Amino acid sequence: MNRREFVRSSALLTASLALPVVWGHETKAGGAPDAVIAEGDPGPAVRAAIAGLGGIEQFVKKGDKVVVKPNMSFSNPPSWATTTHPDVIKEIVSLCVAAGAGQVLVLDNTLRDREMCIEQSGIAKACEVFPESRVLGLSEKKFFKDVPVPEGKELKSTAVMKDVLDANVVISAPVAKSHSSAGVSLSMKNMMGVVYDRAVFHTLYDLHTAIVDLCTVAKAHLTVVDATRLLSTGGPGGPGKVLQPRKVIASTDMVAADAITVDMGEWYGRKFEPGQVKHIREAHERGLGRMDIDKLNIKQVQA
Amino acid sequence: MRFQRLVQIALFVLFALLLWQAKYPLAEGLPVDLFLRLDPTILLGTMLVSGTWITDLFRGLAVLLLALVLGRFFCGYVCPLGATVDAADWMIRRKKPGRNGNAAEGNTRIQAWKYLLLFAVFCSVLAGVSLVFLVSPISLATRFYTVTVYPVLLSLADSCLWFVENISSYLGLDGAGYLQIKHVSFNANVFTAFFVTGLLLLGLLRPRFWCRNVCPAGAMFALCSRKPMVRRTVNDRCTDCGACIRSCPMGAISNEPQRTAHSECIVCLKCMEVCPENAVSFRWTFEKNAAPAVDPGKRRLVLSGCAGLAAGLLLKTNVGSVQGSAKDLVISRVRILRPPGALPEEAFLDRCVRCGECMKACPTNTLQPVWFETGIDGVWSPKLAARYAACEQACNLCGRVCPTGAVRPLSLDEKKYAKIGTAFIDRSRCIAWEEDRACLICDEICPYNAIVMRPVTDNRNTVPFVNENKCNGCGYCENKCPVLGEAAIRVSPHGELRLFDGSYERTAQAHGLVFHAKGGLEESFSFTKPKQDGNTSPEIPPVPSPDQLPPGFTSD
Repeated sequence: MNRREFVRSSALLTASLALPVVWGHETKAGGAPDAVIAEGDPGPAVRAAIAGLGGIEQFVKKGDKVVVKPNMSFSNPPSWATTTHPDVIKEIVSLCVAAGAGQVLVLDNTLRDREMCIEQSGIAKACEVFPESRVLGLSEKKFFKDVPVPEGKELKSTAVMKDVLDANVVISAPVAKSHSSAGVSLSMKNMMGVVYDRAVFHTLYDLHTAIVDLCTVAKAHLTVVDATRLLSTGGPGGPGKVLQPRKVIASTDMVAADAITVDMGEWYGRKFEPGQVKHIREAHERGLGRMDIDKLNIKQVQA
Repeated sequence: MRFQRLVQIALFVLFALLLWQAKYPLAEGLPVDLFLRLDPTILLGTMLVSGTWITDLFRGLAVLLLALVLGRFFCGYVCPLGATVDAADWMIRRKKPGRNGNAAEGNTRIQAWKYLLLFAVFCSVLAGVSLVFLVSPISLATRFYTVTVYPVLLSLADSCLWFVENISSYLGLDGAGYLQIKHVSFNANVFTAFFVTGLLLLGLLRPRFWCRNVCPAGAMFALCSRKPMVRRTVNDRCTDCGACIRSCPMGAISNEPQRTAHSECIVCLKCMEVCPENAVSFRWTFEKNAAPAVDPGKRRLVLSGCAGLAAGLLLKTNVGSVQGSAKDLVISRVRILRPPGALPEEAFLDRCVRCGECMKACPTNTLQPVWFETGIDGVWSPKLAARYAACEQACNLCGRVCPTGAVRPLSLDEKKYAKIGTAFIDRSRCIAWEEDRACLICDEICPYNAIVMRPVTDNRNTVPFVNENKCNGCGYCENKCPVLGEAAIRVSPHGELRLFDGSYERTAQAHGLVFHAKGGLEESFSFTKPKQDGNTSPEIPPVPSPDQLPPGFTSD
């Protein structure tokens, strides 16, 4: 154990001992935490994490159109940790439906064949039970609309899924995984799955800056990071080393959720600071969210 | 409507439904290639040329033997090409009823062509080249509907989608708005369309021109149905009016209405229907009422046999041929990727009947008909078009739907070891190598983890390397490469693994090849042994040491 690890674990230990007291106090004061880390099986952890943020009702109102954006870009089984766990998506959809959502769309512009992706990831089957939900791989131009990116430094305009643009609530639900170009692929990188042409992110632009640009127009209202399994190496497509942190991180702040996941996880056998991932640091600097997690109110719960 | 027509339409619909069902996910136990396995030319031709007994084709033999009882019922009731010819005749011959040339001199002479063609095809087999694919009616029908009709129908359906969407949104249903129809395109589709259109237009000369004069499968049925047990008989109410002669689509009744060339009769029952005296019936009888059978003539048979042999030898000595003496060169095949599990090339071409069933089933549309890239004898055989689409890791449909075993049916695990080829990086085109951009698409998409990103001294960004021993040749890298035009990473057949029999997995492992990651856990990889035959691939730099940063991370 080196010094950094020692400091972190003692801090975590202190925090976990102190949190019930501190947070119990804060709830009474009416302040929701900035993020919740729930430990447990995928479904219960999602439920506990969202409950910790004040419940899905904080986000989804009766009759709302909700878009859930999992990462289901690969036609691999859930055990590879390249796609969001089907139980995570199922729980999110279930909560939205219970809150009275009129329509819940689970959408991704998949990298691999769309039909095989929604089948192999297990997400289509998981959501079958909800008539209000629909799991779709949308890849045709007709589903996208060009939007300007006024705050874009690299990306000046891009075609975004119409359903994402007119949804009342957008939930980014990525799986926690490494990414051989973006460092990690979490909630911000996940939003590349709502654009039509992602190749230009690599060929024309600086990938990290373009991800931040995209998140200025395709912003999630709620982020639920599935770190029940974590693809520590070999991301984004796998196969690679899969860790089992059994955690779900929920936040209204995409940057914070990503920062917590980077901090919590182990990547290529090492630990990293959130700021070491360029798009997370840039998003923080540009005011999209906060990566200074030691200053945030983070609640830890067991599910 | 006549009984025959009803059955014919029903069976054609079955043919179309089965062909439609050759798609991902494939219904377990559904014989999507049923009709192909009924074709006796596929049965005998494929077995003869490959010199092997293919158990799956035995149904063709059963159908052939059934002709001893029922005559050429297959042609009139079962054959989807026959149904297509009938439909085309209905469209192009409506103004020519009766002018079918049945009583014309030379009718039987033309009818003998099919025997000559059949003999020629079997003689081409002696030269070691299978031309069965050119003449098998079921293969032709399957290929025609797959390569030309299916994509057109999908495209039509796609353009009608807005209509469906508007109606359903008017009805308050939102689902139709999300309908996406797969875009399917095929190489050589126009060529195929011309080929089949030409064949159908022959109907202008005679009804069912193909079936009565050309079809070698028809000829095989004809040989078996010279004296069928169920046959046409005419009783003495017949007034010699000749209505049946004029109505027969096959020219089976040529001069006397009472006598029938049973080997030409497809039991369509038209003569029974048009007979004003109800004198015609089809029943179990041994009555001797056969007209002289069509005789191809010894001289013509010998000539056609020589022609078939010559055609075979010509194809074999074509520079593009892999079946000939120049097979060590295999010049034209160099750029062709075959489906995973395809038999070794020579055996593959012997067996492949070019039906296109694999292309229909392929969920990504990467399987495309070859035109003339592999010589004339390779036409319509399947290839992987990696730039256009890739081979999906979790799919093994091409082998499962192949009627002749030209592509072996492999389990998903085995299929992963059926190495299609090897990817190589054209560094001068690669934007990571050449332009130092943060592009990793090939690495990101590679389902086999065969591409790794490594730092190199001259670049700020990491660059891709191919681990040849892990590369399956699926083509995802080539397909997704964002470089316009020719991809910067391409799959060549180099290193392909094609086994006639035996386990791909064991053979691959003996070669030190690793394609399968169990459960995605890196621990369960058996890492590659160095190749024995001298590694031609660029050395892959080692994984960054702990004091170097992994890709995508910065130091502070």
